[in-house]
Parts: sequence; structure tokens; C-alpha cells
Amino acid sequence: MNKVPRVRTILAGSLLFFIPFSMAVTDASKDEVAFVAQEQVTPSAIEYLQLMQNAYQTKNYEVIYLSSLQKQLEPMQLIHGVVDEQQVSYFRYLNGAIRESLQFAGEISYFEQGTPAYTLQSRHNRHVFANIAEFDYEKGLSNYDYVILGKGRIAGKQSIAIRMISKDEYRYSYVIWCDLNSLLPLRLDTVSPANVLLEQLMVVSLKISDHVNPWLIKLTENPRPEVVHIRQSETERKSQWKTNWLPPGFVVVKNDQHSLAMNENIPVSYMMLDDGIVNVSIYISTKKLALDEKQKLIRHGSTVLYTEQRGNFEVNVVGDVPVATAKRLVKSLVWIKNDN
Amino acid sequence: MKEINEQLSSLIDNESIESKSLDALINDKQQQAIFSRYQLIGDVMRNESALQIDISKQVMTELSEQPVLATLTPIETDDAIQNKPESNVIAFVKRFGQYAIAASVAGVVVMTSFITSQPTVENSGIEVLNTVPFGGGVSPVSLQASQKQSKQALQDRHERLEALLKDHQLQLQVQQ
Repeated sequence: MNKVPRVRTILAGSLLFFIPFSMAVTDASKDEVAFVAQEQVTPSAIEYLQLMQNAYQTKNYEVIYLSSLQKQLEPMQLIHGVVDEQQVSYFRYLNGAIRESLQFAGEISYFEQGTPAYTLQSRHNRHVFANIAEFDYEKGLSNYDYVILGKGRIAGKQSIAIRMISKDEYRYSYVIWCDLNSLLPLRLDTVSPANVLLEQLMVVSLKISDHVNPWLIKLTENPRPEVVHIRQSETERKSQWKTNWLPPGFVVVKNDQHSLAMNENIPVSYMMLDDGIVNVSIYISTKKLALDEKQKLIRHGSTVLYTEQRGNFEVNVVGDVPVATAKRLVKSLVWIKNDN
Repeated sequence: MKEINEQLSSLIDNESIESKSLDALINDKQQQAIFSRYQLIGDVMRNESALQIDISKQVMTELSEQPVLATLTPIETDDAIQNKPESNVIAFVKRFGQYAIAASVAGVVVMTSFITSQPTVENSGIEVLNTVPFGGGVSPVSLQASQKQSKQALQDRHERLEALLKDHQLQLQVQQ
């Protein structure tokens, strides 16, 4: 009597085991990704996200998109290609002053109307959708739930909406729309814990090609502007502060004392937190200016700048996190004697 | 004049341009002055290093005289530059464009830009058709001064916030 259900459980169990495994395999190979996309088997939400990631990094494409933030629209363009197995991306603003950037081989060059061009060393891709395209979704499972919302049409393409829901109130949630055919990201909504849309990036035109844009190849062959080395910190010293609490999933990636880039006269203790999607900066400095109640909190889209004065110190938190996170971070700061 | 300017923009837009007219452009002294302001990807591609040095010098000297575009937050006001004691260490943002800082979250940096007055756009070789700040211009987000706060205190607070935002952006850039 009991045997049949048990067999079924085993079967179901083994099936569950197999699905993630087979996806991992397909993830590694480009051709198989295309194959899976065409197949009738519907990927799960996380599989869609991983396929999106793969498409973003390996395909040759050109997108024109709009960034919408506090009722302002900004049109931009991104051209991406893979040259000699290296990702090359070229970005520019389409309106206003000419601002362009080119990223490949661990460097990003900036070209701006009226100022000398220069190059910075940067391991991270800073271009549009790069944060979601480089996120470790498997690891992110501890902080986010991934849910397929449904299908729709973006930039004339059939697309699928996947919601990345934060499990706590200390980070934003996202809605990611991917092209069902190419799986490239087409839209990214940043949503606050109170379910308010904070920022939106939306592709309006997408061109995919088998071959790299010849212009991109040309760009990689030519010398780039001189690399500017940014002084990381004046001293080897770590900041004299530490946090007793970190939002789940965040780690401290920088901890130093330096002067602000804008004003060399302001030394700060500095910490940077990273959760794979966003970064948060914490600055601690001597209190010098009065702080008005209305100036404690500044919000722009998803970015928050929270200031609190405590005794002789002023603490500033900057980053794409909810206010609650910034407040709790400030509360958790403790001064440590650090003479090394 | 107009025609050559159009060629310049087509060059920037990567539209095909005959090398002949390109040479003419480069050899034309008068046009060079205009061309040198386009310190753009095209220059680098053609690897005209001599031209680049010219530009950087020119830019350095012109930097303080240049009107500030609304889309770009100025590094410092002219007054601040004059009042500042001499320093032989040139901070990154003073020497270079702030694009790196503004690129990923342009709007955020712009947030504090309302402290600057409206730009007086003068034609410096670039055909300015639109003198209204572009998208990503001055944002409605702004600090509110309370009754008891002086104008100077408000301005100091602005500068402080701007410095923090820019440092945050720069730290993101040079993350290892």
C-alpha cells in the first residue's frame, strides 16, 4: 500500500535534483543556452536571471535606453561586444554635453566635452544593467526571493518580468524584464520596501548581431588615454570605527582613512559595504557644520544621503539603500582604538 | 564654418567621413581651435597625441573661464578657486572631468548643483542650440533652509554633501 507514494516521492526528489544541475551545465555553454531558450521547458525565475546574465556578458548588442528618475528622462546608449574573449562596452549620453566611456580589460576611459580624457582602473563593469548582470543569484537566494511576475512587451520584444523581492526591509527590491528571445535585460525597476517605484531603466531599442560592431574592435586597438591613479588613502590605517551590525548579505569591502576627493581638508574615516548589487559608503568626520533637521535626509531616486551628528562627530551614509538601513548603520557604529 | 562643425559632430557620431576632409580639418588652424574642444573618443582613435597635448593645455587655462554647463556640477566656484591657498597637490576632480564620478549616477551628483547660478552659455565653438538645462539637470531635490540658518551655512552644507556624493562615486570607480 505504501510503496507507490514512496516511489513517487523518490522520483520527484530526484527530478528536483536534476533540474538545477542541468541548468548549471547549460549555463556554461552559449550554444546550449540558445537551445534551452527555444525549448518548451520553461526555466524557473532564477534560471531566467542566470540566462540573462550570460546573455548580457556574451552577446554582441546595442541598446538605447531611458533612465527615469524623479520625473526626469535621460536617453543613453550602450554598445557591447566580445573581442578576443574580452567584454568591451561603450557608453554615451545622447543628450546634452558629450560624455562617453569605454570599458575593457580592467580599465574604463572617460571622454567628456571640454576636459582631458582619462582612464581609471576598474575591475567592475559600471555600465547599465551591469549590477544585475554580475550578481551571484545563487548566493542572493539568502536575501532575495525570485518570482516570475508574467509576460509583457518592452521595446517591441516579448519579455518576461521577474521580481527580485528582498526578504528584509534593509534593501530594495527589483523588477527585471528580459527579452524572451535573447534574454537580454530590457527594463529594471527599483522598488522601495513600501512598494514605491524609485528608479526605472528601460530599453527602447535593441539590436543584436552575431558579429562585434567593427567600431568596438577599432576602439580596442587604439591607445587609450593615460591611466590616472587615484590615491586610495593617505595612510595605511584603517578607520577608527566599526559597525556592530551589517544588513544581511553586506560585507565591508573598504576600510580606510582618506581625504574627500573634492576637499583635501576634510579627513574622513571611511567604510564601504557591498552586497553584490549596491554599495554603501559610511563617512565619519569631525563635526564642523551645523545640521538642520531638514537636511538630515536627502533622497534622490534610490540613493539616500543620511547625516547624523553624534557628540563631536558627524556620520554620513551614502548609498542605494532604504533610510532604515542607513539609520541602523549609524546607530551601530562604535569607536575603536586603532593604532596600527 | 557651420558645415565643418557639422562634420565634427558627424565624426563624433561615428558617421563615415572622408579622410580628405579630415585632413583639411586637422590642417586648418582656425578649425583646430574648435576641434580641440572636442576632446573625445575620435581624438584617441586617430592617435593624434600632439593635438591632445595642445588640448589639455588649453583646457587647463580655460578651465576657470569656462561657463559651467548645468548638467555638470562645477568643481568649485571661481571665488573658491581664487580664495584657496596654493597647493601643489592637484586633486583628481580639479584636474579631470567629473564624468567618471557622475557617470553611473549622474542625477545624484546633479542634485546639489542648484547652488550654482544658471549657466551663461556663450558660444565657444560649439553650436549651442538649447540653452535650457538638459534632462538630468537641476533636480527638484534640494536642501531647505530654515529660518535660523544663514545663507553661508546652507552653502557650506551643500558643498559638504556634494563632496560626499562625489567621493562616494569615485570610491565606487576605484573599487578593487
